[in-house]
Amino acid sequence: MTISTAKRWEIVDLIAGQTVTSGEYKPSIKDYLSELTVKPLTGIPVALAVLYAFWSIFSSFAGALVTDGFMVKLFDNYWLPWIQNVWPNPDSILYFLFVGDPLADNCFEAFGMLTSGLFVSIGVVLPAIFIFYLMMTILEDSGYLPRLAVLMDGIFHKIGLHGYAIVPAILGLGCNVPAVTATRNLETKKQRFIMMVLLAVFIPCGAQLGIMLDVIPETVGWVMLYLIIGFCLFGFILGKLIPGGNPEILIDIPPYRKPTFQNIYKKLWVKTKGFFVNAIPFVLLGILFVNVLYLLGVIQALADLFAPVFVTWFGVPKETVGPLIAAFLRKDLAVAQLSTIAMTPYQMITAVVLISIYFPCVATFVVMLKEGVKELAAAVGVLALIVFLYGGLIHLIGILLGVA
Amino acid sequence: MENKNMKRNNIFEIYTGIIGLAALTAGTLNIIVWSGIYQTIDLGLFTVGGDDFFRWVWGSLVVMFGGIMLISGAKNIHKIEQFSKAFLGAVMIWIVAGTDIFAVVCENIPAGEESAEFFNSISGFISAFAPPYAPAVVLLPFTLVFVVYFFRNEEK
Repeated sequence: MTISTAKRWEIVDLIAGQTVTSGEYKPSIKDYLSELTVKPLTGIPVALAVLYAFWSIFSSFAGALVTDGFMVKLFDNYWLPWIQNVWPNPDSILYFLFVGDPLADNCFEAFGMLTSGLFVSIGVVLPAIFIFYLMMTILEDSGYLPRLAVLMDGIFHKIGLHGYAIVPAILGLGCNVPAVTATRNLETKKQRFIMMVLLAVFIPCGAQLGIMLDVIPETVGWVMLYLIIGFCLFGFILGKLIPGGNPEILIDIPPYRKPTFQNIYKKLWVKTKGFFVNAIPFVLLGILFVNVLYLLGVIQALADLFAPVFVTWFGVPKETVGPLIAAFLRKDLAVAQLSTIAMTPYQMITAVVLISIYFPCVATFVVMLKEGVKELAAAVGVLALIVFLYGGLIHLIGILLGVA
Repeated sequence: MENKNMKRNNIFEIYTGIIGLAALTAGTLNIIVWSGIYQTIDLGLFTVGGDDFFRWVWGSLVVMFGGIMLISGAKNIHKIEQFSKAFLGAVMIWIVAGTDIFAVVCENIPAGEESAEFFNSISGFISAFAPPYAPAVVLLPFTLVFVVYFFRNEEK
């Protein structure tokens, strides 16, 4: 049996008549709020407020409450003295690798796998990751994140990306590993490459942020300012230089919704579990490996080799070269090591910016390798060039300002 | 009846304008104090100034923008699109005030570095909430009227 086109349309009209109701739609407050948070004039101040809340809650919870309030006391007053007492032979290699400095009175300066390693991963990074992912999930489930993507679209288009690049950019502030994976959401190879390089260079991870807030809170603002300027500057240059397309995005913006406890709990559990499995072993093994390299004299040899470049080109003291070399394995630990070296405030800012823009940690390297060997090689080349140029530029700015 | 409604709307317009102006002034003053033109202003109940660059300047900018949005939404506030603007301005003040209060809570649950105890005493915790407050915290109760208006409108 065949039905003519006219008959089909009659059936369509009949079904539509029975199922679709039409009338005048009266926008609610939520509709207007939705519109206001996307328009640049009102949306940018709101984004400033949301990011302020994000940052403020992050530093209050992870920094003041958990790490400074409880973990420092727990690790420095109980765990460190106990392990220093029970571990035999303070002069042995094993003591150096696992407990670190026998005279250290805090876990930051002990640099052993079971002292600094455990303190950094459980005492500093875990609370930072927990609160970061909690905030991220709330933003995602409330429907604000897609609006932020729309709002940022204009800015990101200037650096060869589009608004959804905000997702890996914010994720990178937690951990660069899922952020590199999230670059797959971007459409073109050019976009993925630019985002991967910018993530690896200019976005400090939660571990590093946590340590920076704890060890050098007075310079974090300046370090972040340099990183944001670098992100925009080199993003713009890469966007111009790298061939490839940058298509427009079409985002379906969901209405604002109240996040449900069940969803938040599930997402938070999956992400925190992922951190335990993927990142904590790297933190512990990274510290162990750095200690082995120190024992073998490799860090010292590399430090001597690169010292002229670091001292003359980047303007940082010779003592910072060791931590900067070790930063390849653990950026957060390198920041902690820097805090023990005597430097001018500007040198400290330069050294921390260098650590941030320096090669990403081993875990990020592994994930970048999964995206392709060619991409990784190209990213490393671009990265080395950026580090050299931007490090020199920061030194030059310091000289011109008379503070370097 | 209509006159009564108009009068009520006029009062709400003026109220929103005053709150907006107060927020704008507080935010601007904070930035002026930060820039070094004036010393910290301490008025007993609240203080303009701070020692944390991030909370002080970024937070003040948010309060300032919140004030601007409240002022821009004050005229014809009975119209839903205008109220939405003012409501968003109030939300921005809640964000700064809420995070400030959260910071005080987080800083005062632990006993402090020197103490052998892990937790602060109840009296020590409560004393942390004594004045002076940041301007956003002082403005917070005055902006709660927007919540009532929001839910009334949602019900309608």
